[in-house]
Amino acid sequence: MEGTELAGKILSTWLTLVLGLILLPSAFGVSLGISEIYMKILVKTLEWATIRIEKGVPKESVKNSASVGIIQRDESPMEKGLSGLRGRDFELSDVFYFSKKGLEAIVEDEVTQRFSSEELVSWNLLTRTNINFQYISLRLTMVWVLGVIVRYCVLLPLRVTLAFIGISLLVMGTTLVGQLPDSSLKSWLSELVHLTCCRICVRSLSGTIHYHNKQYRPQKGGICVANHTSPIDVFILTTDGCYAMVGQVQGGLMGIIQRAIVKACPHVWFERSEMKDRHLVTKRLKEHIADRKKLPILIFPEGTCINNTSVMMFKKGSFEIGGTIHPVAIKYNPQFGDAFWNSSKYNMVSYLLRVMTSWAIVCDVWYLPPMTREEGEDAAQFANRVKSAIAVQGGLTELPWDGGLKRGKVKDAFREEQQKNYSNMIVGNGSLNSESN
Amino acid sequence: MFSRSIRVGAVSSDQIEQLHRRFKQLSGDQPTIRKENFNNVPDLDLNPIRSKIIRAFFDNRNLRKGPSGVADEINFEDFLTIMSYFRPIDITMDEEQVQLCRKEKLRFLFHMYDSDSDGRITLEEYRNVVEELLSGNPHIEKESARSIADGAMMEAASVCVGQMEPDQVYEGITFDDFLKIWQGIDIETKMHVRFLNVEAMALCH
Repeated sequence: MEGTELAGKILSTWLTLVLGLILLPSAFGVSLGISEIYMKILVKTLEWATIRIEKGVPKESVKNSASVGIIQRDESPMEKGLSGLRGRDFELSDVFYFSKKGLEAIVEDEVTQRFSSEELVSWNLLTRTNINFQYISLRLTMVWVLGVIVRYCVLLPLRVTLAFIGISLLVMGTTLVGQLPDSSLKSWLSELVHLTCCRICVRSLSGTIHYHNKQYRPQKGGICVANHTSPIDVFILTTDGCYAMVGQVQGGLMGIIQRAIVKACPHVWFERSEMKDRHLVTKRLKEHIADRKKLPILIFPEGTCINNTSVMMFKKGSFEIGGTIHPVAIKYNPQFGDAFWNSSKYNMVSYLLRVMTSWAIVCDVWYLPPMTREEGEDAAQFANRVKSAIAVQGGLTELPWDGGLKRGKVKDAFREEQQKNYSNMIVGNGSLNSESN
Repeated sequence: MFSRSIRVGAVSSDQIEQLHRRFKQLSGDQPTIRKENFNNVPDLDLNPIRSKIIRAFFDNRNLRKGPSGVADEINFEDFLTIMSYFRPIDITMDEEQVQLCRKEKLRFLFHMYDSDSDGRITLEEYRNVVEELLSGNPHIEKESARSIADGAMMEAASVCVGQMEPDQVYEGITFDDFLKIWQGIDIETKMHVRFLNVEAMALCH
C-alpha cells in the first residue's frame, strides 16, 4: 500500500512540475530560464573537460581540426594540373595527373564524408563521440559517469514524457480544431496548437535555438527552403512560425500525425504514386501558393539528410514553381549533441534515443532576404544561387554533388561533362603538337 | 602491427589510423577490399582512367607478390603498399634514396600502361591508354586517338633508339626506355599525395 501511495505521490508531483514549469510557459511562448541555467552549467563543464584533456594528452598527438581532411588536395583546375609536364608526350604526363587525382579520391572523397557524423575537435563527454581520446584522469572519468547518469536517468525520462505529451496534444488539438468551420478563428487556433506543441517537442530535446534576422521570416504565399540535417529541422522552424508542409503520406505514427494536422490547416501531402508525376506536384504547389491566405510551404531541396558541414545540390524541381523563395540556413552546434540522422545506420527510434540522450540540441537559424528567379536564369542556376546564399550564411561548404549519392551512383551526364572537358583540352593541344612536329 | 617492412615513408601513426578508418569505410568493415568497393567513390567516377587506377591497386607487380596477374582482394597492408608509391620526396633523403623513390613511382606508372605484364609498352597498349583518356567524348573519333598514340610512340622511339632503319620495327617501350624519356624531368612534385601535419617518422627502407 505504502509503496503504491509513494509512487502515486511521486508521479503526481512530477507531472505537476512538468505542467507548471514547462507546458504552460510553452503555450504562452515564455521561457522561465531553466534551460538557460542548464546550458550555462553544461558549457562550463565541457570547457573544464576540454582543458583537462589538453593538459593530459602529450603534445604531439594534439590534432588539427578533424574536419579539414587528411590529405592536402590539389585544388588547381585541370588545365593547370596537366600543363606542367607538357612538351614531351602529353598522354604520359596526363596519366600522372589523373592517377594522383584518383588516389586522392580513394583516400578521401568529398562526398562520402558528408554522410557520416562530423568529428569533434574536443570530446564532449559522450561515449559515442569518443574516437581518439584515451583515459586522462580519474576526475574526468567521474564527471563522465555523472554525465551518463544524468543523461539516462534524469533527462531521458523527462524528455520522453514531454515528447509524448507534445505529440498527443498535437494530434488531439488539431483534430479538435479541425471540427470547426473554416474561419479566421480556426486558423488562429490551429497556429496556436502547432506552435505550442512544437515548442513542447523542442523542449523535449532540450533545444536552444537562436533566430537571426526575424524580419525576413517567410510570409504567406511564399516558399521556404532550408538545408536538411534531420527530421528535427521541421520542429525547429515551426517553433517560430507556421508552415505548410510538403511530403509523402506515410504509415504508422507519422501517418496518424499527418492525417491529424491536415485537418487543422492545409498541408500538402502526396500519395506515393502522385510523387512520381512531377507536373501534378508542381501544379498542386502552384495552387497552394497562389492562395495568399495559405501558409508558406516548407521544402528541403536537398532531398536527403546531410551532416550539416556542407550544402549539397538543390534539386531544381522546387524552384520551378515560381513565387518568392525565402531561404533559411540552419546550423547545429555539434558540441552539445549530434542532430544528423544517418538513415542507413540508425532507424528512427534509435536516432531519437540518441538525440534524447545527448546534452542538448543547439542551433542557429538565419532568415535570409527573399529571392526570386531573375530574367534569363533557369531553375538550376536559381537553385545554385539560393544554395550559395544559404551556405555562406550558415558557414557551410558548398558542394555541387547530389545528395542522392548517399544511395545511388554518379549520373552519367555529370561524368560525361568532365570527360568532354578533358578531351577538348587534349584535342586542342594535340593538333598544335602535331603541327609543330 | 605490421611485421613486413613497408615503405610507408613520412606517415605518422595518426595518419595510418585515419587511413585504416578510410579502408574500413571503403571495404564496408570487411578485412579486405575488392574491386567493386571502389565503385562507391563518387570522385573517382569522373576520372577517365579509373579502371586502370583501380586495377593498379590489385596488380601483383605493385603489390610485390609476383611478376604478373591480378589479385582478387587486398588487405590493409597491401593498401598501404600502394599508397607508398605516392609518398612525397622528403628533403631529408639523400640522393640515392631520391633516385630510388623516383624509380618506384615511374615503375608504378609503367605497370599502368603495360597491361599484359610483358615488360614492354606496345603500340596497342599505348593506344588503349589514349582511348581511355579520351573516352566519353563522342566527338573525338577513334582515328584521332590512334594518330595521337602513333605520333607519341614515334617520338618515344626516336628518343630511345635514335634513328631507325626503314624496316626496323620498334617493339615497344621497355622500362629502361621509359626511364630515359623521363630523365631530368621533375616528376616528383606531380606524383605524390601530401598528408596534412606530416611528421617524418619512418624512412624509405
